[in-house]
Amino acid sequence: MSAVAAKPAAGSAMNPGAMAVGIILTLILVGICYVMSPGVGLMALIGVIIGGVLIGFGTHFVPVGGAPAAMGQAPGIATGVAMLATGAGVAGLFGGAWAAETLPATMDPMMQLIIVVCAGAVGGGLMMAITCMMVNFLYVFGMGIPPASGKVANDPITGDSQAEYKSQGTEGHGLPFVSFVGGVIGGTLGGAGGTLIYFELLVLYENALPGLMNVTAAQVMPIAVSAAGMFAVGLFLVNAVLTAYNITGTIEGPHDPKFKRWPRSIVASAVASALCGLVAVLIVMPLPI
Amino acid sequence: MEHIVFGIGITALAGALATVAGSAEDTESNIGSQGDPNSQVQLAPQMGFLHRIFNKAVAGEPPAYGLWCCLGAGLAWAFMAMQINPVLAIVLGAVLATFVQGVYATTAYVGRTASLAKFGQPVFVDILKSMTTVTMAHAFIAIFCTVTLCHLINTALGHPFPLPLLGLIWGIALGAAGSATGNPYYGKERQYQNQKFGAGVPISASGNIVRYAEAGERNSIDNGWFTAKIGGSASGICFGMIVFLELWRTVVFEAINPWYAIIVGVLMILIFTVIDRYIEVWGRKTYGPYTAPKEAEA
Repeated sequence: MSAVAAKPAAGSAMNPGAMAVGIILTLILVGICYVMSPGVGLMALIGVIIGGVLIGFGTHFVPVGGAPAAMGQAPGIATGVAMLATGAGVAGLFGGAWAAETLPATMDPMMQLIIVVCAGAVGGGLMMAITCMMVNFLYVFGMGIPPASGKVANDPITGDSQAEYKSQGTEGHGLPFVSFVGGVIGGTLGGAGGTLIYFELLVLYENALPGLMNVTAAQVMPIAVSAAGMFAVGLFLVNAVLTAYNITGTIEGPHDPKFKRWPRSIVASAVASALCGLVAVLIVMPLPI
Repeated sequence: MEHIVFGIGITALAGALATVAGSAEDTESNIGSQGDPNSQVQLAPQMGFLHRIFNKAVAGEPPAYGLWCCLGAGLAWAFMAMQINPVLAIVLGAVLATFVQGVYATTAYVGRTASLAKFGQPVFVDILKSMTTVTMAHAFIAIFCTVTLCHLINTALGHPFPLPLLGLIWGIALGAAGSATGNPYYGKERQYQNQKFGAGVPISASGNIVRYAEAGERNSIDNGWFTAKIGGSASGICFGMIVFLELWRTVVFEAINPWYAIIVGVLMILIFTVIDRYIEVWGRKTYGPYTAPKEAEA
C-alpha cells in the first residue's frame, strides 16, 4: 500500500498476526529459560516480563505534549514520552531499591516483594504528581493560561468543559485533571514495573552469584545490587522507547484515542522484556553442556 | 532517634542541592536551546527568520543529564577509590563531565546549524565562543550538585546503589523534571514574546521566534537571564521537592514501619492532587474562557 492510499488512522490499527507472532516469541523465550534454568531463573524471567509489561502499559498514561506543548500549542508535559516515563520510573526504582535494602532478611519473601513494589510504585507516582502539579503551576501562574484538553469536550473525571478554554489556533494546553491523574497512574505503574524487575533480578543474583564466583553472599551483594539496578534501568529504557514508538510522539493521557493502542505495545514489551530478561538470567547460569 | 535526625539533616541538604541543580539545569538547557523549544530554533531559518540563538539539541535533557551526571559520579567514584578527598573527587568528576558537555555543545551547535546552510543560516563563531562557556558553567553547577546529593544519599543515608548508578538515575530524573517544568516558559514566554500573554502560540505563528533584543540581536544569554526568573526557579523547586520528599518519607518512616513510608507517599500524592485541582480551578475562574460556551451561543 502506498502512503497516499493508507488510511489516516492506520497507525492505530491492530495486526492480529503480528501480535500472535509476538506472543509465540515470548513463549519460546520463556521455554528456553525453562530448559536452561527451571526454578529461580524462570521466576526471575516471569517477573521481568510482568515488570516490562507494566512499564509499557504505564507509559501510555503519561500525558506528553512534546515540542507543541512547549509553545502552549498542545496539552501535556513538554518533553519526550520515553524520557518522562523513564524519569518517573527510575525515581520509583530508587525508592524500591532502598526499601529492599532496609527490610529484614527474615521477612516472608512474598511480603518483601509486595512492600518493595509498592514503595517503587509510590516513588514513581510521587515524582509524577509533583512534576504535573508544577507544570500546571507554571502554566497558570507563570504564563496565565488555563489547562484545556484538545481531545475531549469535557474532562472525563471532573466534567469541566474544555473547548472554550482552548486559546485560538491551538490544540489546548496545560494538564487538565484527567491528564494529571493519568500521569500519576503512569508513574505508579512504571515505578512498580521497574522495581519488580530489579527485585526479581536481585534475588536471582543473590542466589546464583556466590556459587558461580566462589565467594560469600556478603561479598557478592554490591555486584548483585549494581547488576540488577543496571538491568532494571536498561529494561526501563527499552520498554519506554518501544511504547514511545507506539504512541508516535504525543498523548494526552487515558482519554486520548491513542491510548487504545496499548494491547500491541504490551505484546511488544513482553517480547523485548523476555529477550532482555533471558540475557539477564543466563549471564549467571552455568551452561548445562 | 539520632540516626533519624541526622538523616533529616542530610535530606534537607540534598533537597537544597537538588533545588540549585534543577534551576541550573533549566537555565543551561534554555541557553543551549536543548529542550523541546529547540524545534522552533531549528525551524525559524527554514521559515526565513535567521537568528543568533544557540542550538545544541541533539539529545533530550534527561538522557544528556543522565550521561553527564553518571560520568561525573563515576569519575568521582574512581577518584575516591584512589583515596582522593571526596570533595575534591566530586569537583574533579564534575569538571571532567563538564568538559564532555562542552564538547557535546560545540559539536551539536556546529552540526545542527551547518544543516541549515541551505536556508542561509550562518554558524556564528562569536556565539560559539561566548555561549558554550556559559552553558558549561551552568552545567557544572547542575552536575556538581547532583553528584554531591548522590554521594550524600549513598554514604550518609546508606542507599544500596553505587554512585555511578545513582548519578544516572538522578541525572535522568533531573532532566525529566527540568524539561517538563521549564520548557513551556522558554518556548512560549520567551521565544514567542511577541505573541499575546495568557494564550498559547497559534500554530500558524510557528517559526516566527523573537530575534531582536532591546539593542541589537537577541542571543541565548538573554534567554537564560529571562527564564531563570520563573522557569528556572520552578524547575528547581520541582526537582528539589522530588528529592526532598522522596528522601524524607523514607528516612523518617521506613525505619519505623515500611508501610508507613508507603502510606505517607500516597497521602503526599493526594495532597498534590488537591493542590493541582485548586490551581486548575483558579486558572479557569480567574482567566475565564477564551470564547463563549456553546450553550450560550445556541
